[in-house]
Amino acid sequence: MGLLYFFSSLYFGVVGAILALLLRVQLSVPNNDFLQAAYYNQAVTMHGLIMIFWFLSPLGIALFNYLVPLQIGAKDLAFPRLNALTFWLFLAGGLMAVLSFFVPGGAAAAGWTSYEPLAGPVFSPGPGPTLTYLGLMMMAASVTVGSVNFIATILWLRKPGMKLLQMPMFTWFALFTVVAMLFAFPSIIAAFLLVLSDRLLGTVLYAPPSVLGVPGIDPSLLWDDLFWFFGHPEVYIVLLPAFGVIADLTPAFTGRPLAGKNWILLSTAVIVLPISFGVWMHHMFLTGIPSLLQEVFDASTEVISIPFGIIVIMFILSMVRGRVQFKTPFLFVIGALVLFIIGGIMGVFLSSPVLDRVFYGSYFVVSHFHYVMVGATIFGLFAGIYYWLPRMTGKMFSEKLGRLHFILSFVGFNILYAPMMLMSDMPRRIFTYQSIGDWAQLNGIATIGAFIFAGAQIVIAYNLLHTWFRGTPSGPNPWSSEDLEWSSPAEGATPAVHVESEPAGGWIGQLSSAASVSPATGGGESYSAGVAGHEVHLSSRPLTLSVGVMLFLTGAALYPGILPMGLMLLGVVIVGYSMVGWAWDDIRDRFTGPPEMEGGDRWPFDAVSKIKLGMWVFLSSEMVLFGTLLGAYVFIREAALQWPAAGSVHDIPLATANTLVLVTSGFTMVMAIYAIRKGDMRGLLAWLAATFVLGSVFIGVKMSEWAGLVSGPTPFVPGSTNAVTAIAASVYYVIVGLHGAHVVAGLIILVYLMKKTTKGGYTKERHEAIENFALYWAFVEIVWCFVFPLFYLL
Amino acid sequence: MLLAVIAEALTFYYVKAFAVQSTVILTLAMSQAVAVAVFYMQLKDEPGSVRLFALVGMMFLSALLIAMVASLG
Repeated sequence: MGLLYFFSSLYFGVVGAILALLLRVQLSVPNNDFLQAAYYNQAVTMHGLIMIFWFLSPLGIALFNYLVPLQIGAKDLAFPRLNALTFWLFLAGGLMAVLSFFVPGGAAAAGWTSYEPLAGPVFSPGPGPTLTYLGLMMMAASVTVGSVNFIATILWLRKPGMKLLQMPMFTWFALFTVVAMLFAFPSIIAAFLLVLSDRLLGTVLYAPPSVLGVPGIDPSLLWDDLFWFFGHPEVYIVLLPAFGVIADLTPAFTGRPLAGKNWILLSTAVIVLPISFGVWMHHMFLTGIPSLLQEVFDASTEVISIPFGIIVIMFILSMVRGRVQFKTPFLFVIGALVLFIIGGIMGVFLSSPVLDRVFYGSYFVVSHFHYVMVGATIFGLFAGIYYWLPRMTGKMFSEKLGRLHFILSFVGFNILYAPMMLMSDMPRRIFTYQSIGDWAQLNGIATIGAFIFAGAQIVIAYNLLHTWFRGTPSGPNPWSSEDLEWSSPAEGATPAVHVESEPAGGWIGQLSSAASVSPATGGGESYSAGVAGHEVHLSSRPLTLSVGVMLFLTGAALYPGILPMGLMLLGVVIVGYSMVGWAWDDIRDRFTGPPEMEGGDRWPFDAVSKIKLGMWVFLSSEMVLFGTLLGAYVFIREAALQWPAAGSVHDIPLATANTLVLVTSGFTMVMAIYAIRKGDMRGLLAWLAATFVLGSVFIGVKMSEWAGLVSGPTPFVPGSTNAVTAIAASVYYVIVGLHGAHVVAGLIILVYLMKKTTKGGYTKERHEAIENFALYWAFVEIVWCFVFPLFYLL
Repeated sequence: MLLAVIAEALTFYYVKAFAVQSTVILTLAMSQAVAVAVFYMQLKDEPGSVRLFALVGMMFLSALLIAMVASLG
C-alpha cells in the first residue's frame, strides 16, 4: 500500500508540476497570451489543490504506510482493509479532480483557497468545480479514516518493550501528523459540505450579499474561519513528515545520537496540539476582524516560531557535534533545513498585521509558502526516498546522480523562488502583467528556475528506475542504522525478531544479543508466526466501494442528464454491493486483521481494545465536524440581524416527542450491551430490534416533518424568496440532514448487527462490535442534544 | 434524560426572557451530553487517555468557536 501511495502521489505530482510550468511560461514575459485568463485561473487553482492534497501530503503518507509498521515491529496497520479504503478513496478523489479539466466549463478556478462566495455557484458555475470539491471530500474522508488507522496502529501495535519515547523519530512525527490531520480535516469537510450543499442542493449558505441580501451576514468571513482553521495546520501536516525524515536520518549521517531528542518531541507536540490550531486568523488580518483578535493571533503566530526554532537548532547542533557524511540523503536534509529557515523567517514578517498589509496578496507570500511547504517538505521527503530506497528495493541508487539531482534541485528551486521575495509589489492573482519595474526580469529568472527545478526531477526518476531494475545490491543495512526497519529483508518481510526492550546500541544492536532476541518462527513468541502476508486481509471491497462512490459523485456533479443519472445509479448499485459484501465477509469471518501480539507495548491504552481505540479516535474527529457545523450555525445566527422566531417554523411538541424517542433508543442500546454481557442472545436481539424501531421512528417523523416544512403554506425552503427564510432553511436542512444521515447509517449497521446476532456471531466474551456501535449511537444522541435546542427551541 | 428533554420544552414555553431561557436550555443540553458520554458511552470506566482524546477535540473546537464568534466584532 505504501508503494501504491508512492507511485500515485508521484503521478499527481507530475500533473501539478506540468500545471506549474504552464503558469511560469505564461508569467515569463509581460503581456503574454500563452494562457487565457480562464485557463490560467484553472491551472493555478488545480496546481495548488493537487500539489497539497494529492502530492505533498500523500507522499508523506506513502512513507508512513511503508515504514511505520516496520519501525514499530507491527505486521501491518491496525485495520488493513480500512487502509486499502483510505488509498482507493484518495486515488478516486484525485482522479475526479483531474477529470474536472475535461468537463464543460473546466476545472475549479477560484484559487486553492476556494474563497466564498467566489467559489460558489454564482461566480463559479458549472460541474468542474463541483467535481473537484467532491474529489476533495473523498480525499478528506480518506484522511480521516487513515488518521484513525495510524493512531490506532502506533498506539496499539508497538512491539513488546517499545515504549512511546523509544519509538523512532519518524514514527513520532507520523503520529504528530495524523493527530493534526484528525482534528484539522473536519473543519474543511464542514466548509466544503456547505459549499457542495450550495452547489448541488440549492442552499444559500455562502450566497453573496448582493444575491441573498440577509442583513448582517458575510459569507466570506465564515469561509475564512472554517478554511483557515484547517489551512494553517495543513502546512504542518505537509511539513512534519519531512521533519520526521530529518530527525531519523540525522543520527545515521552524523554518527551521533540526535541532540535534544526530547526537546524536539516536546516542541513538536506544542506546535501540533495547541499552537497550530491557534494561529489561523493571521490569514485574515485584512478581513476586518477586530484589532484585538489581530493582536492575539499576531502573538500566537510569533510564539510558534519558538518551538520551530528549538527543533531547527537541535538539528543543527547534531550536525555540529557529529561527523557529517555528505551523502545524497543528507544533502537533501541540509537543503530542507536551509529552505525551511529561509521560508520560516519570511513567515515571521507575515505574522505582523502591519507588514501583512504590505505583503499580503503579493509574490512575497508565494515565495514564503513555497519555501516552507515545497522546499522544506519535498527536500525532506526526497531525503527519505533516497535513504529508504535500499530498504524498498534491496539495491543502492547512483550516488553521482543523487548529488546531481540535489544540486540541480537546490539551485533551480532558489532561482525559482528567491526572485519572488523581491516581488513584494507584484500582485499574485493576475494572469499577466505590464512591464513595471523589474517584474519582467524577475519573472523571467523565476521561469528559468522552474525549468531547472522540474528538469532535476527527471534525474531522480531515472535514478529510481535505474536502481529498481539495475541497481547494485545494497546489503541489509547500508547506512548502519539502528532503527528496526533495517532488521528485516528488503522485500518487505516484517522484522523477524521479538524485541523486549531497546538496548543501549539501539534496536539493531539488540539483534546481536541472543539473550534478548527470539526467532519469529519456532519460538512461538512473535505475533507474526504463522502469518504469511497480506493475503489474510486482501479484499476487493475497498476498491469497489471507492469506485462506486466515485461514480455516484461524478454523476451528481454532472447532473442533470441521462449519463449522469446512469452514473449515479451504477454508483449506488456498486456501493450497495460493496457494503453488503463487506458485511457478509465479516459475518462469515472471511478476513482476519493482523494478529494481535501478546505483550505488545500499548501504554497508555493498555486497557482499551484496538477497535475501541479506533472508534474513540473517529468519534473525536466527528465531534469536531459537528461542532464546526454547529459553530457555523451560531456564526450565521449571530451575524444575521433577523431570524425566524423560535416556534414559528417547527412543531415543538412533535420535535420534543421525537427527541424522547431518540433518547429512549440510546437507553435500549445500553440494555443491548448488558444483555450480551450476560450472554443473553435473545435479550440482545430484542434490544437491538427495539433500538432499530426507535431509530426508524425518529427518521420517519423527521421525514414527515420535512415534508410538512416544504409543502406548508409558507414553505421553509432554501429557495424561498424571503432571504431570512432561505438562509435559515439552508443551515437547518444541511446540519439536521447530516445528523439524519448518521442515524440512517446507524440503522444500516443495526441490521448488520442483528443479522450477525442471529448467525451466532456474538458471545458473552466476543461482542466488541456491539459495544463499539453503542458508542457511535450514543454520539449521534449527543449531537441531537445540541441540534434540538439550537434549531428548535432558541 | 427524558426529564431533561421535557424540562427543555417547558423552559421554551414558560420562560420568556431570552437570556434566561437560552442559558437554562443550553445548560440542560450540555448536561444531557455529559450524561450520555459518561454513562451511555461509559466514559467513566475508560482510562484517562481515552478521555484525553475527547478533551483535545473539545479544546480545538472551543478555540474555533470562540474566535469565530469574536471575528464578527
